[in-house]
Amino acid sequence: MEFSFSEEQMMFKDQVMRFARKEITPRSMEHDLKGEFDFHAFRKLGEFGILGLHFPEELGGSAADVVTSTVAGEALGEAGVDGGLTLSYGAHTFLCADTIFAHGTDAQRQKYIPALASGEWIGCMGLTEPGAGSDVASITTRAEKKGSGYVLNGNKMFITNGPVADVAVVYAKTDKALKHAGISAFIVEKGTPGFTAGEKLIKMGVRSSHTSELIFEDCEIPEENLLGEKGAGFLMALQTVEWDRSTLMAPFLGSMTYTLHKCIQYAKERIQFGRPIAHYQAIKHKLADIKIFIEAARSLIYRIAWCKDQGRPLNHKEAAVAKLFLGDWSLEPANGAVTLHGGYGYCHEYEVERNFRDSRLAPIGGGTSEITKRILVKLM
Amino acid sequence: MDFDFSEAEIAFCEKLKGLLGSVPEKGLSRFEKDKVQESRKGLLDWLEKLAGVDYLSLGMDPGSHAVTLTAAQEELAALDPSLFLAAEVSARIFGRLLAVYGTPEQKEKILPGVTGGRLIGAVGLSEGGMNIENEPLGTRGVKSDTGLLVSGTKAHVVNAPVADWFAVAGNFEQGPAFFLMENGHEGLSLSPGFTMTGYRGVAVSTLTLEKAPVPPDRVIGPFKDDQRFKTVRSWEDQILTAAGLGVMKAAYETARNHAKTHMSGGKPIIAYQEVGFKLSEMLTLFQTAQLLAYRAAWMVEAGQREAPVVAHCAKVFCAESAEKVASEALQILGAQGCLQGNPAEEGYCNAKYLQVAGTSTEISRMKIGDGVLG
Repeated sequence: MEFSFSEEQMMFKDQVMRFARKEITPRSMEHDLKGEFDFHAFRKLGEFGILGLHFPEELGGSAADVVTSTVAGEALGEAGVDGGLTLSYGAHTFLCADTIFAHGTDAQRQKYIPALASGEWIGCMGLTEPGAGSDVASITTRAEKKGSGYVLNGNKMFITNGPVADVAVVYAKTDKALKHAGISAFIVEKGTPGFTAGEKLIKMGVRSSHTSELIFEDCEIPEENLLGEKGAGFLMALQTVEWDRSTLMAPFLGSMTYTLHKCIQYAKERIQFGRPIAHYQAIKHKLADIKIFIEAARSLIYRIAWCKDQGRPLNHKEAAVAKLFLGDWSLEPANGAVTLHGGYGYCHEYEVERNFRDSRLAPIGGGTSEITKRILVKLM
Repeated sequence: MDFDFSEAEIAFCEKLKGLLGSVPEKGLSRFEKDKVQESRKGLLDWLEKLAGVDYLSLGMDPGSHAVTLTAAQEELAALDPSLFLAAEVSARIFGRLLAVYGTPEQKEKILPGVTGGRLIGAVGLSEGGMNIENEPLGTRGVKSDTGLLVSGTKAHVVNAPVADWFAVAGNFEQGPAFFLMENGHEGLSLSPGFTMTGYRGVAVSTLTLEKAPVPPDRVIGPFKDDQRFKTVRSWEDQILTAAGLGVMKAAYETARNHAKTHMSGGKPIIAYQEVGFKLSEMLTLFQTAQLLAYRAAWMVEAGQREAPVVAHCAKVFCAESAEKVASEALQILGAQGCLQGNPAEEGYCNAKYLQVAGTSTEISRMKIGDGVLG
């Protein structure tokens, strides 16, 4: 075992952080508070190469490995990019674009990946429904064969990038009787008749990412928009878990480091009883708890990334452990950071409040902690 | 980056597991202060077995041993926590102290016996009412015609009642040093052994020196400052970190096996979310702690800048997680878990020791805080 990053990876992390600090972080607070998607920053991510980092060069990417992609994600968070934008990036690149890349035909790849990698198009993924979250097999959105295509009917809920997406990967039942094996994936473009996105939801955290319902009413799509094998949709959705538990969670890890640096800065500057509060044991203990969380979490997500780079099948137990730890164990240090800032921590200006709100999604999004625990029990 | 164990690492751990699996009975029985010789014999028997698979010599020489060592320690710590602690103090602290800082003569005379499992070592570092973190040691050597006369008291010295050799930390005119003494050394006395809440098979007592004569060839040092004491403390912390992994492994596996076989309401209790979810959290803490401990060990060996801070993170996380995992294991095991000798009960009692021994979790957090503040 050894845990080092390559020189190139460390240099790349530094480059991403410098880029993000210059181009994105100064805009993060405004977009978070207004709950506005930052199109400018998103396109900048595309120009820098983040959005398509792991795709082949001929499709507009840089052919980076998974660990390097995870390093980039961590760097965004560490540079202070808000969780809303990094969530949008995750949903776009991994849940949408990578699903097309991994399962699409050459024609589908050629059509969508370059536009998604550059940020010209924004992608989303629709799986969750108003009545089906953790219980994926119970989705009711259906895709019925009609002539040379399909007709989609149903609603998707809590779809990150829903209101701003140009293209969506949508999961629907093609055979109701087959449960999981009856789920197929489709590519649906914005503007397709019968496809609309609902109003953006007003969320507690990750506010600069737009989230909404997707509505399909007799939405006709051509046969060539079927993604992968018919009935393979559930397995395709599962395969995004590797990205979800590594690169997609990496910005969150980075944001905890950003939070720690904010706390350190405040603790050194804030004077109480004649000296900086950094001198007090209770403050040092809070800093220590944030640091312990970061160090404990780090190897969990890089292990998933490294295993994917080795071409290994997903280890569901390790993935679940990573998800559960980053979700449930992050809340206390995120809360501690707010407390450390006192009244200022409750205000937007010091940014730890944003991280506190953003953190609350971690035990919910991408599989709740409860579902994660169920998975772990099954694997014991 | 490589998250796999190397073939050599796997082979080493398999060799150790083979040894541990081949012996039906557990290692050390409960320490009783009026049966010191039995305890000593029991420990020596096991040390010899461990020496046979090179366990005691691991980490004595430079090389990439840290992760192998931690993984091997986890195995032994899970099987027999008391044997683990006693063996580690003898080999990994006393033995390593000689290997790294001892003179060639000292090494030649004592080290083969320690790594060969024929001698038991003990190290006196902490003192009652003070520690090396914030106060100078009270143990001092003064010049005499033949060397030094050392006086002082060392609290809670692991292995002291059964040890052949002692290394006692103190100061003399030329600086900090360790003073080497054999059992029965003039001026050295031991209190009766303590009965502890955890690690019940480990022999522990207070060591007192009253003008104990120490010739120059029995001094390790002098050092220019007390950094060497802190290094030895960090070795102790690494051992306690691995001990935490052992507690978690034993407690988690015991609770999981019980939950799969204990029936209630016509189904195994693991089928109930109250139980299954507890096990999921325990496994999460255990796996997270493993990776953190391995990485911390690797960072220390690789000389990474942040290694001391991450090592403290690992110690705190493993020690505190050990208590949580053992506590939940007790809950899952119900009344059965509260019976003495059960790995969950034993782990629960041992876990508290891990939080107070070495660098306590409070002081560790201070050091982490100081580290990140720069």
